[in-house]
Amino acid sequence: MTVFNLYIFDRNGTCLYYVEWNRKKHSGIASQEEEFKLMYGMIFSIKSFVNRISPSDLKDGFSSFKTSRYKCNFYETPSGLKFILNTDLNVGNIRDVLHQLYSNIYVEYVVKNPLCELGQPIKSDLFKTKLDEYVRNLPIFATKTN
Amino acid sequence: MSRQTVRSGDPRKVSAELFTLTYGALVSQLVKDYENVDEVNKQLDKLGYNMGIRLIEDFLARSNVGRCHDLRETADVIAKVGFKMFLGIVPTVSNWSPSGDEFSLLLDNNPLTDFVELPEGQSNLEYSSILCGVLRGALEMVQMEVNVWFVQDQLKGDNTTEIRVKFIRRLEDAVPVGED
Amino acid sequence: MADEVLFEFFHMEIVGQFLQSARKDEKESAFTKLEFLGYRVGQRLVERFTKEVPRFKDELDTMKFICKDLWTSCYKKQIDNLRTNHQGVYVLQDNKFRLLTQISEGKQYMEYAPQFLAFPCGLIRGALSNLGIASNVTAEVSAMPACKFQIQIQRL
Repeated sequence: MTVFNLYIFDRNGTCLYYVEWNRKKHSGIASQEEEFKLMYGMIFSIKSFVNRISPSDLKDGFSSFKTSRYKCNFYETPSGLKFILNTDLNVGNIRDVLHQLYSNIYVEYVVKNPLCELGQPIKSDLFKTKLDEYVRNLPIFATKTN
Repeated sequence: MSRQTVRSGDPRKVSAELFTLTYGALVSQLVKDYENVDEVNKQLDKLGYNMGIRLIEDFLARSNVGRCHDLRETADVIAKVGFKMFLGIVPTVSNWSPSGDEFSLLLDNNPLTDFVELPEGQSNLEYSSILCGVLRGALEMVQMEVNVWFVQDQLKGDNTTEIRVKFIRRLEDAVPVGED
Repeated sequence: MADEVLFEFFHMEIVGQFLQSARKDEKESAFTKLEFLGYRVGQRLVERFTKEVPRFKDELDTMKFICKDLWTSCYKKQIDNLRTNHQGVYVLQDNKFRLLTQISEGKQYMEYAPQFLAFPCGLIRGALSNLGIASNVTAEVSAMPACKFQIQIQRL
């Protein structure tokens, strides 16, 4: 199993944070800015379409999609923060993992850091370190080097 | 510092009083700084708002409550989970407006006003307006625009403390560029 | 009763409000105000805290009360190290000060550290003053989240 990259968006569509681990190929989209915009747009559309065609009320709504190469995992808080973690295909439901990331990393090191302005890209080194540590220690991160 | 000193005084209680005392000290400081009571109320409300937009994330993270379906559910969560978690009290939800877009939170006792007596000539001071700000800020983050104000206040001799919440509108996520 | 994070969020906003509303030339007075706020709270807190507490044996005993009881109830842990030169200077070191732990582990944001220490300095000064000790309290940070509070006793 492995983790490729992570996007965090707020509900205004601002990309608060982006980081990658084992992403081997880049999108070839002109700029990172543009990639963020497209990612937010895609998630926004999938979310609303998934809700619209649902035969009954959805509880968690859209949570992931798979291609033949990767799985895109999505978690949204009631405050509209969106966590998107791309992993390989062997990863199961990781809603809890993303909720933990929100509550133990984002809330601790962004919300409780008065010097991090909400709604602005995150610059805190402590947040970066803690996030990296958290993801690298996840069982789903395990990359074999041998 | 290895020697064991045993003292009375309950640290947990003191920790709760820390907030109340600091709040009281802040209010007096603002009263001194601004002279104009309306401005003090505004500052307290603003401070509450700024607190609310952060507090809500801590609340959502720890309570793990999902999105509420209607205002009745929201009111219940505010009273039974929110107030309980942060202030240790559970206000009564009541006085719904006929159209269901307004309700009141009734507080039997308001921890913010422990050890407080409103000084003479400060009858326009909304001592606890920070609570209005917190609610407004917190609800805005879960996409609800509301108005919040005090209807009654025990500090001013009323029988109960009543906070009124009026729902204005739902705020939507930003639509991505190039879509509608 | 009130949840402890409530105070942390509250303190954060007080600092923000005092400093952001201050123009450049008013920064100094914003610090003074924060310190004074802490002073008043420290005074009153000690009143409530020591209602049934026997009087302290000596100055050092009072300092131990600050390091243990007061610090634990306000900041959830004890001061890690207490030193004195026995001539009226005490240095209280907290290796992981509660109000700094979420901000940085190192040098980032260093220039902002003092604004989160003005209130605690006042808190110590206020507590001591109500226990009959007049003092000056200053804080020093070399790498967050550790910090040192230096208490200089004012002899009459």
